[in-house]
Amino acid sequence: MIRYFGRRLFHAVLVLFGVSLLMFLVQQAAPGDFLSEMRLNPQISPQALHTLRAQYGLDQPLPLRYAHWLSFVARGEFGYSFAYDMPASKLLWPRARNTLLLTVPALLISWLIAVPLGVLAAAQRGTWLGRLFSGGTSFLLAVPDVLLALLALMIALRTGLFPVGGMRSADPSHGRLADLAWHMVLPVGTLVLGSLPVILRHVRAAVSETLSSCYVRAAEGHGLRQLPLLFRHALPAAANPLISLFGISIAFLLSVSLLVETVMSWPGMGPLLLESILARDLFVVLGATMLSTLFPLAGNLIADVLLYGFDPRIRMEP
Amino acid sequence: MTPNPTQSTPRQLLRVRDLCVDYRFASVKVAALQNVDLELGEGESLGVLGESGSGKSSLAHALLRLLPSDASVSGLVQFRETDLLNARAKTLREIRGAGIALISQEPALALNPVLPIGRQIGDVLRAHESVNRRQERDRVAGALREVGLTEPERIMRAYPHQLSGGQRQRAAIAQALVCRPALLIADEPLSSLDTATQAEVLELLRTLKAELNLAMIFISHNAGAFSSLCERALVMRNGRAVACASLEELAETADPYIRGLLFPEAAFLDGCKTPASQPQAGRPLLEVRSVSKRFMQRRALSRSKFAVQALEHIDLSVDEGATLAVIGRSGSGKSTLARCIAGFESPDSGEIVLAGRKHESSPQVQMIFQDVGTALNPRFTAAEVISEPLDIARKNDPLERRKRALDLMEEVGLDPDWQARPSHQFSGGQRQRLALARALAAGPKLLVLDEPFSGLDLALQAQMLRLLLEVQARHRLTCIWIGHDLSFLSYFARDVVVMDQGRVVEHTAPQGLRSSTVPATRLLVEASDRLHAPGVEAVS
Repeated sequence: MIRYFGRRLFHAVLVLFGVSLLMFLVQQAAPGDFLSEMRLNPQISPQALHTLRAQYGLDQPLPLRYAHWLSFVARGEFGYSFAYDMPASKLLWPRARNTLLLTVPALLISWLIAVPLGVLAAAQRGTWLGRLFSGGTSFLLAVPDVLLALLALMIALRTGLFPVGGMRSADPSHGRLADLAWHMVLPVGTLVLGSLPVILRHVRAAVSETLSSCYVRAAEGHGLRQLPLLFRHALPAAANPLISLFGISIAFLLSVSLLVETVMSWPGMGPLLLESILARDLFVVLGATMLSTLFPLAGNLIADVLLYGFDPRIRMEP
Repeated sequence: MTPNPTQSTPRQLLRVRDLCVDYRFASVKVAALQNVDLELGEGESLGVLGESGSGKSSLAHALLRLLPSDASVSGLVQFRETDLLNARAKTLREIRGAGIALISQEPALALNPVLPIGRQIGDVLRAHESVNRRQERDRVAGALREVGLTEPERIMRAYPHQLSGGQRQRAAIAQALVCRPALLIADEPLSSLDTATQAEVLELLRTLKAELNLAMIFISHNAGAFSSLCERALVMRNGRAVACASLEELAETADPYIRGLLFPEAAFLDGCKTPASQPQAGRPLLEVRSVSKRFMQRRALSRSKFAVQALEHIDLSVDEGATLAVIGRSGSGKSTLARCIAGFESPDSGEIVLAGRKHESSPQVQMIFQDVGTALNPRFTAAEVISEPLDIARKNDPLERRKRALDLMEEVGLDPDWQARPSHQFSGGQRQRLALARALAAGPKLLVLDEPFSGLDLALQAQMLRLLLEVQARHRLTCIWIGHDLSFLSYFARDVVVMDQGRVVEHTAPQGLRSSTVPATRLLVEASDRLHAPGVEAVS
C-alpha cells in the first residue's frame, strides 16, 4: 500500500516538473518580457534597462535561469515578482487561500447536493420527473459560467441583498466572519451551479447502470426497501467512477473559479494570474500555474486514497 | 389484493393462470410467455425445463414482478391469498424474500461486489424483521452455517471476489433462505459452477428442502440437474408450457423437442454417426516441461502477502492432430495452464515448446475463451471480429481479408449476410461460432478451448461439438480442451489429464476415467453421474 501511494506521489512530482519546464519554454517563446514596455519609456536610458535586466537575471541563458528558479522552488519560494517588487510566494499564498475559500465549500456543497439528488434521479429514470431532471441539467450545462456569474452580479445589484463583488466590506457590521460568509454566497453559489449539472449527470448515469445490474435486481427480489436499496447497495457499487470524478471536479472547479473570481473581483488567483500574464510577470505566472496544477494533482491523490479504501477489488495486486 | 378463499385449498401455495409476458421493443411486441398455467402446493417442487430463450427466466421473474419496465404482464399469479400481479408495492415487497425467494443464475453477479457478504444477508433480514445488531449477526451466521459454510465469521467479513464459486452460491442461498421463505425459485443455480460443486450444491438444496419444507421451482436446461429434486417438470418452448408431467412420463414421450432436452447425447449421435477418429501417432506438437506459476495476493490495509500456487511442475505433451482434455475443479489451475500455453501469462519456471521451438506467443496458438459474452468487442460487427487477426497481421489487402472473413462465417455455420451485425446481437451459441471463426482466421496449429461450452445448453453444446470436430479434421488442428464437465468427453479427446490444486494427478484415456482410483478423478466422475439424467452417459 505504501508503495502504491509512493508511486502515485512520484508521478505527481514528475507532472509538476514537466509543467514547470513547459511553462518556462512557452514564456520564452512569447515575444518580449517584463522590461520590454519600459523600453518605450523615453525617461529610462538603455543603460538603466541593461542594469535592471542583469539584476533580474533576465540576461542569462534559459537553462541557467531554469536552474536558478528550481533552486528557489527547492527553498519553498517561487521567485520574485517584478510588478509588485516582492517575493512571488508572499503574493501567491494569500491569493491561493482565497481561491480555496471559494472552491472547497463549492466542492463540498455540489457533491452533497449531487449525490442524493443524482441517486433519486436514477431511480426516477423514464418518468416525467426524470425527464424534468434531464431537461434542467441540460439547461444548466448549456449556460456558460460567465453568464451565471454576470447573472449573480445582476441579482446582487437589483436586490441589494448581497454585495456586488469583493471579499470584505469596508466596515463589517456583523463581525468579520459573517461578513466574509456574506460575500462568499454569490461566488460559491455560481460555482456550485456551474459544476452541479456535470456531477449530477455522472452520478445518475453511474447509479442507473448499477440499478440494472444483476445484484441490485437480486437485492430487489429479496424485498429490500427502496432507500436502502438505492443508498446502501446501488450507490457503493457505483462509487468507483464517481470517486475518480471527485478528483477531476477539483480541477474543473478551479478553472471555473479563476473565471468567476475575475468577474466578481474576488481577490483569488484568477485576477492575479490575468494581471501577471498581461504584465509578463514571469515568476508569478509560473507560481500560479504550479499551484493550479497542484490542486488537481492533490485531488487525484485524494481520489486514489478513497478508491483504495472503498473498493475491495482494487486492493488486489497481480 | 383479491382474496380467493373458494379456490385455494390450505395446501396450495402458488397458482398461475394464463400468465403472459410481452416485451416491447420500440413499437414491436415480442411475446416471452404465453398462457402459462401451473400449480404448486406447500413443500412441493417443480422443475422447469427448456432450451435457452424458451421463457424460463421470464417466468421466474414474472412470478416476483421483477421484469424490466418495458415488459407487460397479464394473467393471474396467486401466492397463498395474495394476487401478486395486482398487489400494492408494499405487499409485494413483503412477499419478496420472506414468502418467495429467488436465487439467480450467476452467484458472481447476484452478489454486490463492494459489500461484505454479512451485510448483504443482514440487509435482507432487516428488510423483513426488526432485529437488533446482535440478533442480526447470530441469524446471518446461522444461515451461513446452515448452507454448509463452516467459518461463518470469516465469510461474513469477506467480499464476493474473495470466495470461490461454490461458496458464493452457498452464500446466495443463505441470503435467499435467511427469512425462511415458503417458496424458493432457483433460476439455473448450477450453471456457472464446476461439476463437483454442482453436485454439492444440489445435495445442499435437497437437504434444505427436506428440513425447511420448502416448495421449490427449479429452472434448468439440464433435466439431470433436478431429477433427484423434483417430482414434476414443466417443459417450456417458445414461451409456452408444452408439457407438465413426471420425469418418467416425459421420458416416454416421442416429442423430439422433449427427447432432445432429456437425452442430448442421443441427439448429438444422430448427427455424428461415428465418434471422431483420432489420428493414431503423430509427432508431439506441444510440450509443456515442468511449468510452474504462482500469484501474489495482498490483504487490505496490511503488508502481508500470500502466494497462490497456480501451477506446480506441470509436464504434458500433445500430439499433432490430437485432442487433449484437461479437467479439474475450478481453482485447480487449468485456466492458468491454458493462459500460459496461449502466451498470455509467462510461467515462473519451466518451458513450453511448440513444434520443436521454445514458444512464447504466436498466432499459431489461438484461444477460445470461457465467457463468450465478454470475449467479443460488442461494438465490432461480425466481419470485423473475424478479420481482426488478419488486420493485425496485415495479411493481403482489405478486400481479400473481408472475403476470407465471409468464407469463415460460412464455415462455422453463420449466414454471411449477418456480417454487418454488431456482435452483441448474436445469441450465445452464435457468438461461440464467431469466436471460433476468429480463432481460425489466424491459421492456428493449436487451439486452446477454455470451457468453450459453459453457459450453452446441452443441445447447443452438442451442435458446437459437432462443428468443432469437423473443423478440427479439415484443418488438422491440435486441440487442448479445458473443462470440468465430462459430457461428450470420449467423443473428442484422446487423452485426459486430471488436475487438482495446480498439479497433474492423473493422465489417462477417457475410457480409463471410470476405473480410476485417484480421489480428484472419482469426485468429478461421481458428480457428473449424479447430474446427468440417464441417457446422458458421460463417459462411455
